[in-house]
Amino acid sequence: MLNQGFMMSHVLFGILGILFAVALFVDVVNASEKNSGRIKKLSLAVCVLIVLAYLIGGYWYVVYYGGDRDIIKAGKWPWAHNYFMEVKEHVFFLLLILSLYLPIAAHRIGSLTDKKNRNLILAISALIILIGLFMDGAGGIISRGVTIGLGR
Amino acid sequence: MTNSQMEKYSAGFGLSLIVTILLNPIVLLCKELNANVMSALKSALGHHWTTHGVILIVVFFVLGFVFSGMKLGTKLDSEKLMKYIIWAVIISGIIIAGFFLPNLKAASAIKY
Repeated sequence: MLNQGFMMSHVLFGILGILFAVALFVDVVNASEKNSGRIKKLSLAVCVLIVLAYLIGGYWYVVYYGGDRDIIKAGKWPWAHNYFMEVKEHVFFLLLILSLYLPIAAHRIGSLTDKKNRNLILAISALIILIGLFMDGAGGIISRGVTIGLGR
Repeated sequence: MTNSQMEKYSAGFGLSLIVTILLNPIVLLCKELNANVMSALKSALGHHWTTHGVILIVVFFVLGFVFSGMKLGTKLDSEKLMKYIIWAVIISGIIIAGFFLPNLKAASAIKY
């Protein structure tokens, strides 16, 4: 049960992080003096949510994943672990470091009415969204690999 | 500070971000291709992935503060930094996805 709770929390925080990154992207497209405070808060929220997803997912991966890995590798979709989990666990670091940088850039870069500054925050948000969606897809494949490994 | 120059922390940590993103696949290749590196990472914090992550986080913050003190904002602007970050992510992603690509061979053997 605890195992499932950790996993669901990891997914929940990851998805919330992506959704907040989408909200941030939209806010930055329409950046003005009015929403600059909200942009800074959203950047911090994305960072906190992705870090929580990393810590909880990392704990689950180190403590609980071994059993699932053996099931996947013995099943018909061994590549769900051999490829998608291996790629996911290393691409996640890109998402993490981008999310750590996001609030630093959003708070310190200066005016977002400047096109170059705005584009930098937009690019980082877009990368977080795209990598986050890949994380979700890969997670789904890994989960399916366990189900198939169990013969369901 | 003019529009063509960057504030020191956004420039310093931006450059640190690029270095850390490119360091990620380098650590991956080192640990996957060298059993000694893999066992050292495992013995350091109990799991190679944990140590890998801590190395990247520490490098990001240490280099971020070091680069922030080097007044890189006069040499970098947001547009250049954005391009470097995007290319670093693409290069890092291709190396990671490409390295494990041989593991996908089994996908052709799916039977339902």
